[in-house]
Amino acid sequence: MNYITGYYTTKFGEIWEKSLFDLVKEAITGVLKQTNLTNKQIDAVFFGNMLAGVLENNLHSPSKISEILKVNIPIFRAEAACASGGAAFNLAKNYLDANRNKNVLVIGAEKMTDYSPEEAITGLSAAASGEEQEAGLTFSGLYAMIANYYLEKYSYSEKNLAYVSVKNHFHGSLNDKAQFRRKITVEDVLKSAYVAYPLKVLDSSPISDGASAVIMTNNPDWVKKQKYKAAVLASEVATDTISLKERKNIDEILATKIAANNAFKNAKIDRTDINVAEVHDCFSIAEILAMEDLGFWKKGEGGENIIEQPTMFGNGGNLIVNTSGGLKAAGHPVGATGIKQIGEIFLQLTGQAEKRQVKNVKYGLAHNVGGSGGTAVVTILGI
Amino acid sequence: MISPVKIWRRQKEIRKLIGKKGRVVAWTKIFTPGSDFKKYAPYPVVLVELENKEKIYGQLVDHEKEDLKTGSQVISILRKVRASSSDGVIAYGVKFKPL
Repeated sequence: MNYITGYYTTKFGEIWEKSLFDLVKEAITGVLKQTNLTNKQIDAVFFGNMLAGVLENNLHSPSKISEILKVNIPIFRAEAACASGGAAFNLAKNYLDANRNKNVLVIGAEKMTDYSPEEAITGLSAAASGEEQEAGLTFSGLYAMIANYYLEKYSYSEKNLAYVSVKNHFHGSLNDKAQFRRKITVEDVLKSAYVAYPLKVLDSSPISDGASAVIMTNNPDWVKKQKYKAAVLASEVATDTISLKERKNIDEILATKIAANNAFKNAKIDRTDINVAEVHDCFSIAEILAMEDLGFWKKGEGGENIIEQPTMFGNGGNLIVNTSGGLKAAGHPVGATGIKQIGEIFLQLTGQAEKRQVKNVKYGLAHNVGGSGGTAVVTILGI
Repeated sequence: MISPVKIWRRQKEIRKLIGKKGRVVAWTKIFTPGSDFKKYAPYPVVLVELENKEKIYGQLVDHEKEDLKTGSQVISILRKVRASSSDGVIAYGVKFKPL
């Protein structure tokens, strides 16, 4: 069995004083200190990052991490757009499954705020199909098409989506690592400017800097000595067409459904066993779809279900979603997000989630999506 | 910078997609585009299902407000898509207008 024994994240936001690898260094130093590991006790590193090659001509990150960590071990970078962090974690888990008694370090990081919004949007568009780019479709545009389709199909309005952001900003207010700590109202969301109709600024995750890291191990002696540990019950990746137009259902992320079904099968637990989940809310509509495609809510009912806020901290629900603030309020440094999600579940399972600690948590799920649904990673942790 | 080679390769495909009738199955209006499209914003983009069931994307042009809706009948046309600089290659591609 593989266990997570430590997690550290930098603050997410506009961190102008730090470069990409300053952030990586902070995350590495932080997680090693937390777990009392030395650099020599790390056997391999997996790094999730999307944009460094595109935005800042910055590649060969394994070697840069080798320099920071002062080691000569295998280090790999994973790229799957916004699911780069989740993909790195999955590779790390498979590495442990193939090698006994190892400790691996998994890092996700992104540096985005050095660039204008247009440059960042163009960089992110590299993860869309050529035709989508040529039609002037951005990621917000693709999710906006999905949102528009969903709202029309099930007779909802933009207001139904707004509740997602209200909840996640409330959770962000409880997380001192979150980019946005400000609570917002449904009216605030509805009054904010359009990014791509029907999605507005407050339906959208921001452009962010940040790095997050976890230690994962399959060394039973090491696990026994750890104060904080969570078992990795499943980590599953599924893929789908890069083009939204090639998918059978526009209002469904099939990769999420497949990854989730495989993950629940491997973890041998039911949906109702999950107490906390971090789902990929790059846009408000994405959390609604995630809740449906992960199998927590029925297709088409998400727009209605969110109104009563059953997944908000403090409302007494059985499943609390995006306690970190989600991508919306915690921020979305693309490569870091998948690791932050898993880290947040680790904090919840080990009672370290402070003001946002959900009670009696036994199982948690992290859901990370790349592009408009071309990659999905679902991870289930338990204690 | 727009690669002339990429344009040349793509044009062979684009010509097969011109003059096709179809129906809008999903749409949006982009207010915050990437660098190359900034000067055209806001602009509507539609996903169209052609009569042969093939789906293609394109911006909707020469339209009235009421044309931008699901189910609208449209036809594909050849239009300028973007130009990265005043003396650079101009990219042409598929757009749609109401039928």
